Amino acid sequence: MFGWTGNLLRVNLTDGTIKKEALCPKDAEMYLGARGLATKIMMDEVDPKVDPLSEENKLIFMTGPLTGTFASSGGRYEVVAKAPLTGTIGASNSGGHFGPELKYAGYDGIIFEGRAEKPVYLWIEDDNVELRDALHLWGKNVFETTDTVLAETAEDARVACIGPGGEKMVLFAGVLNDRNRAAGRSGLGAVMGSKNLKAVAVKGSKSIKVADPEGFMEACTDARTKLKEHPVTGGGLPTYGTQILINILNQSGALPTRNWRDGGIFEEAEGISGETLAEKYLVRNKGCFGCNIGCGRITRIPEGKFKSFGEGPEYEAGWALGACCGVGDLEAVSKANFICNELGIDPITTGATIACAMEMYEKGILTEEEVGRAIPFGDAEALVELTRMIGLREGFGDVLAEGSYRMASKYGCPELSMSVKKQEMPAYDARGVQGMGLEYATSNRGGCHVRGYLTSPEILGIPEKLDPLVTEGKAGWLKIFQDLTAVVDSAGICLFTTFAIGLPEISSMLRTATGINATDEEILKAGERIWNLERMFNIKAGFTAADDTLPPRLLKEPLQSGPAKGKVVDLEKMLPEYYEVRGWGADGVPTAEKLQDLSIG
Amino acid sequence: MKVKFFATIREHTGSREIDVAEQGCGSVGGLLQHLCSLYGRELCSLLLEDGKLGSKIIVLVNGRNVVHLQGMDTPLEKDDEVSIFPVVAGG
Repeated sequence: MFGWTGNLLRVNLTDGTIKKEALCPKDAEMYLGARGLATKIMMDEVDPKVDPLSEENKLIFMTGPLTGTFASSGGRYEVVAKAPLTGTIGASNSGGHFGPELKYAGYDGIIFEGRAEKPVYLWIEDDNVELRDALHLWGKNVFETTDTVLAETAEDARVACIGPGGEKMVLFAGVLNDRNRAAGRSGLGAVMGSKNLKAVAVKGSKSIKVADPEGFMEACTDARTKLKEHPVTGGGLPTYGTQILINILNQSGALPTRNWRDGGIFEEAEGISGETLAEKYLVRNKGCFGCNIGCGRITRIPEGKFKSFGEGPEYEAGWALGACCGVGDLEAVSKANFICNELGIDPITTGATIACAMEMYEKGILTEEEVGRAIPFGDAEALVELTRMIGLREGFGDVLAEGSYRMASKYGCPELSMSVKKQEMPAYDARGVQGMGLEYATSNRGGCHVRGYLTSPEILGIPEKLDPLVTEGKAGWLKIFQDLTAVVDSAGICLFTTFAIGLPEISSMLRTATGINATDEEILKAGERIWNLERMFNIKAGFTAADDTLPPRLLKEPLQSGPAKGKVVDLEKMLPEYYEVRGWGADGVPTAEKLQDLSIG
Repeated sequence: MKVKFFATIREHTGSREIDVAEQGCGSVGGLLQHLCSLYGRELCSLLLEDGKLGSKIIVLVNGRNVVHLQGMDTPLEKDDEVSIFPVVAGG
């Protein structure tokens, strides 16, 4: 095969067997790779009703056909399992260098089954693959684990692992690779922890063959040139990172503040902005494998009680740990973000869960005695301390480690959890960005921004300028964004490339790399197929149209200030349109005709 | 009227925000011309392209993108707040 290596590894952790299997070429063509292909395997092999933390769940690491190639930002891979936070299909994407290295070792992906009796890690060096004892690694944080595994394997190997958060099955623990890159959302690190799998290390010496080397180089060069010349991917992102968005969302009245209670304008936004980060704390920017954007931040807090060094924060993390908690101190926000990386937990759900607890505290539902300290909004020290307690499930952190929905439900106030399908929504107040409301409600992994990022046209004007306060046409736009995002994730390139390139460029790279004879439309249809397969997994897991909703705060409490003053999310209007555009029934279920059209059996 | 600058726009203005008197700035177009005279050619080439709103900037009036208002003709009052960004993205 071209683009794909054509090989999968199947590792049964229960009996320790390791098998090399051939990748089915038809599945590869229909589902591309990474997110799509791994979901196909989940659908074929796992009962969607399975307990996510049981040994019946599987954990899949999967690359795409462009991963590890010359395609710009082709360093992505996906971790897929049924997710413990949401109960939906879980698929989290990460960059860095781990994915490419897995392909250089000769594998498109790894399927983990069962559960090891004792902690283990997997060491892959080309054709030599072995499970090793990891008892001595249990309890170590992400950085310590990475360093120890590298010392025991090869210093130029690549490591993906869990921290204490994953070991203790924090429901929003992530899988961290190359120290600071995270397949962060939905709790896939907890699935890894439940399997007693501490780490995967890989070193490869093989190459990836492409079908049309000359055409592929031409397609990649064209894409790279467009990325370099675009003001976002060639200017704003390298200079300010994703945190650049804080100010524009705040000025647009859509930066959710204090658990979304106080509207979309955070009075201390400038203090946590990308501009402040660049001016005061940025050491340098950093790119993942083969990336000519370089949005990553290497950050140093040089002194004071939050003195620290690490990577980030990214926009969503900076918002969740900042504005959502009412904290305007970027030093504390950065410190909390670094702790999330060390302990291996998702900073979005971490921040949003702490914010929910802060509101419950201010309402008198949670007491100082219960939590162990006062936790008013804006308390920077409480933010940092609670973050640590979550990652270690220490004290009240054990309650927070279940996520905001389960925590708030325990105290009889689930409406204070700003989540969809039990996963916390990210950094865009959908009352001021209507399309994002539809996006949150219909995302196949619950509250999420990277399944169909309508903020791009609604706030940032890319690729077109859509009015964020109107609902007309948003369903159609969302379908295209969701399908294209599925293509991008499954191809193995970074979603950020789509600020500068689109379907024609991506399709061109896919065709020349793999040799598949597919039109742009057929490739986009693969994205639609992936989206519908994820939907079918969730339906079989028990989800219905009733779950395609938003927290009552977004549907019933109008914003009190800013340009979207008086607005709630008009989901009632957009959702039926969306089902229709998707070719689904009014019950939100893909029709038999739609499934047949997409060749989903 | 308050005018706020963000990200790379600040490299041209040297300040985060300024107060602009009303004269000559009755509309977004008028304000951008005024900013051209204040900050010179380099910023002006970003703000205006052939006399039209620059394609590499975002101008908000009271939080609303002017392309969803009346574009360059969007009227400005003394209590309005204008925000000027380069095209940005992330997420």
